[in-house]
Amino acid sequence: MLFDVGRSTVAGRAALTVRGELDLATAPQLADAAAALMQSSPEGFVIDLSPTKFLDSSGARTLMVIARDARAAGVPLHVLVPRTNRPVRLPIDLLDLGTAVPLVAAASEIGSSVAHKDAGT
Amino acid sequence: MTAPRVDEDALLRCADEPIAIPGAVQPHGVLLAATEPDLAVVVSSANAGAVLGRSGGTLDDYLTADDAARLREALAGDLAEVNPLRVTVAGAEVDLVLHRVDGLLITEWELVAGAEQAGAAWHRRLPTVLQRLSASATLEELSEVLARDVRTLTGFDRVMIYRFDDAWNGEVIAEDRREDLEPFLGLHYPASDIPAQARALYTSNWMRIIPDAGYQRVPLDPPINPLTGRPLELSGSILRSVSPVHLEYLANMGVVSSMSVSLIDRGKLWGLISCHHYAGPHRPSYPDRQAAEFLGRTASLLLPTLAASGETDGLVEVARRTAELTAAVGRTPRALATALTEEDVTVLDLLPAGGAAVRLDGQLRLLGTTPPAERVLPLVRALLDAGIDATDAASTLVPDAADLAESASGVLVVPVGGEDFLAWFRPETLREVTWGGNPYQSKTAQTDDGPRLSPRRSFDAWSETVRETSRPWHEHEVAAARTLAGHLAAATLNRASEDNRLAGALQRTLLLEELPKVPGVALAARYRASADDVVGGDWYDLVPLPSGRLSIVLGDVAGHGLAAAAVTAQLRHALRAHLLRAAGPAAALDGLNEVIGALLPGEMATVVVAELDPDSGEVVLASAGHLPVLHAGSVGAEYVMDGRGPALGILDAPSYTETRLTLAGDDRLLLFSDGLVERAAAGLAAGLDALREAVGTGPTAPEQLLDAVLGALNPPSTDDVTLLGIART
Repeated sequence: MLFDVGRSTVAGRAALTVRGELDLATAPQLADAAAALMQSSPEGFVIDLSPTKFLDSSGARTLMVIARDARAAGVPLHVLVPRTNRPVRLPIDLLDLGTAVPLVAAASEIGSSVAHKDAGT
Repeated sequence: MTAPRVDEDALLRCADEPIAIPGAVQPHGVLLAATEPDLAVVVSSANAGAVLGRSGGTLDDYLTADDAARLREALAGDLAEVNPLRVTVAGAEVDLVLHRVDGLLITEWELVAGAEQAGAAWHRRLPTVLQRLSASATLEELSEVLARDVRTLTGFDRVMIYRFDDAWNGEVIAEDRREDLEPFLGLHYPASDIPAQARALYTSNWMRIIPDAGYQRVPLDPPINPLTGRPLELSGSILRSVSPVHLEYLANMGVVSSMSVSLIDRGKLWGLISCHHYAGPHRPSYPDRQAAEFLGRTASLLLPTLAASGETDGLVEVARRTAELTAAVGRTPRALATALTEEDVTVLDLLPAGGAAVRLDGQLRLLGTTPPAERVLPLVRALLDAGIDATDAASTLVPDAADLAESASGVLVVPVGGEDFLAWFRPETLREVTWGGNPYQSKTAQTDDGPRLSPRRSFDAWSETVRETSRPWHEHEVAAARTLAGHLAAATLNRASEDNRLAGALQRTLLLEELPKVPGVALAARYRASADDVVGGDWYDLVPLPSGRLSIVLGDVAGHGLAAAAVTAQLRHALRAHLLRAAGPAAALDGLNEVIGALLPGEMATVVVAELDPDSGEVVLASAGHLPVLHAGSVGAEYVMDGRGPALGILDAPSYTETRLTLAGDDRLLLFSDGLVERAAAGLAAGLDALREAVGTGPTAPEQLLDAVLGALNPPSTDDVTLLGIART
């Protein structure tokens, strides 16, 4: 069961790309990585679930906790889940995650203020 | 910046110097190597003719018939037992010393005349000397006795006991000297003074002597062993000619004659008995040197039984603290961190240290002066990964920690289990070390062959302040830390099994022993615990309301174990209270969310509430982040997707909504936890489809329906599974 949280860039922002199955066993890795990124990227970051194969309620809870902590810290967060990623989209919809987690279906929906700032320097 | 590299080259050259095969001997004896059994001499030192009156031939040619017979008799036995064989050559007494190497018999002939002899009186006193050595209670005492008796025996001007540290620097820890000489006691000498290949030789050969450092080398003829074709191996020889670098070193120190005996503790070179003579050449007789070696060997055997007197400092106090802390741990197994950090005696009191760190259950607590919390973990981890439990110079092992020297030059760490540990920190203690001469001065000399190591010229005492080191940790302190960690690990294990028992009991109270009988309603419940965890976070509840309606609750708290079970119990009771008071399920969830925010910050739960009117069959549903409930009727089963809001504990003020449906005729309502469908082999969607199929086509009576569902879905035992089935009768 391959699982990996990798650092990347989405829409000009620091991002965590989650590969494999996000469940009880692997969710803590995402939680740790997100906590670190929240410190180092106060201008905002993205959790990219495009290549995620599976999401269970533990993974969903972890996303909610990350969203709650980001909100409390004033760090803008986007969770990217393309509509085509059915195995992940379904639990998100069933658990009504959208009310608690800032979801986007495409990178273009993320405000690219950071990218503009980079372009200006 | 090439100078350091040149130095390294020179040091390597020195380390390469073939000290075991110098091809020459010192002139205080003759070396003859012979084959056996014919005793034909195949290698002679060039002084054989001058000293023994002949060269070549066989060994018999050099000896009287009687002595030759004794030699042959000796060769049949253990050579170590016959050395020396005292023989007479041309009217002069000679000590003949024998050993074998590479197929040759090496015979070394040392004239008795010219040697100093302690005489029979000293040898008669040997038992007294041995008794003095073995009666020594401390290392200091043993060293002093050893220095004094070796000097009495051998007559050297100065006898020092020299001890190596971990980096092979040496320190003079005891000394007996001619009164007019300047003391060397307490001086340190850098490791390079005695190079590695010399230390290796000293571990196998216990005794070396240079009667006159101004000697002329006596070459061997031929210099090779004719049996092997390689230079004759002299590491076991008493006459071996030494490195010219060493002779220069002695001359620079003003030493005319020197002798050293190895001190070896359990196979490792521990130190040396180092003897100097300044007045002129000095050669104790072979039997006296043997006696000195014997004293060194005896002292070596005693070394492991003695500790330096400072080593036991605080031993009693530390033992008492260990007992106190162990007792505190035993009294409060559920609050180990508190017992160690907040009581009258804390871990910081266990042993002298500036700060301490306690990491238990993943929680780090710091006491006293320590590095900042975020630096403690990497430092401790680096040391543990390197297999180090105590260091008084952490920055030499973990260079990243150099900036922490002020609080953590010394670190003592013991693992407690998992990632947990106890650690103590000692601050930087500036320490004055007095070297016997500046150890950092350049020691290379340019020669035609490139740089060569040139021995130090100045031995004037030179003081240095050593930085980034702390007071060293005593062995008994490390042992006490390990003992405490062992007790903690045991207490943690006991607690874990106790927790499982408690949590199991707690969860049983969360699950109803018997479902309440409600007229007009058929109810069934199933709970299956996870195989990995005694307790999951699932709970269910049935709350008859004053209005005659019935609230049916199924929830799931994030987390496992005792902590989750305790949160679950609180939520269950809070939700009961809100259900009894509130206008409906959504309002009750709003209230419960407030409870979490105010009283259980950080906790999270999902829950679904179905409020049934048994008379009309009307159901009001509200969900907080829970999977949808399943409504089965005559035309099949459908998930109810309305009336849902976020999980509890996520948003400050979510507004939960409700949806309504009617249980008509044989309709069933199924509430379930995620464990039922989540881990279906084909994924969540397939699990939900299978559940809808099983309920739609299954029996109508709730008890049978739940059994059928569990049978059809067969959820894995990795998570707990809860099912509630409701129908009207």
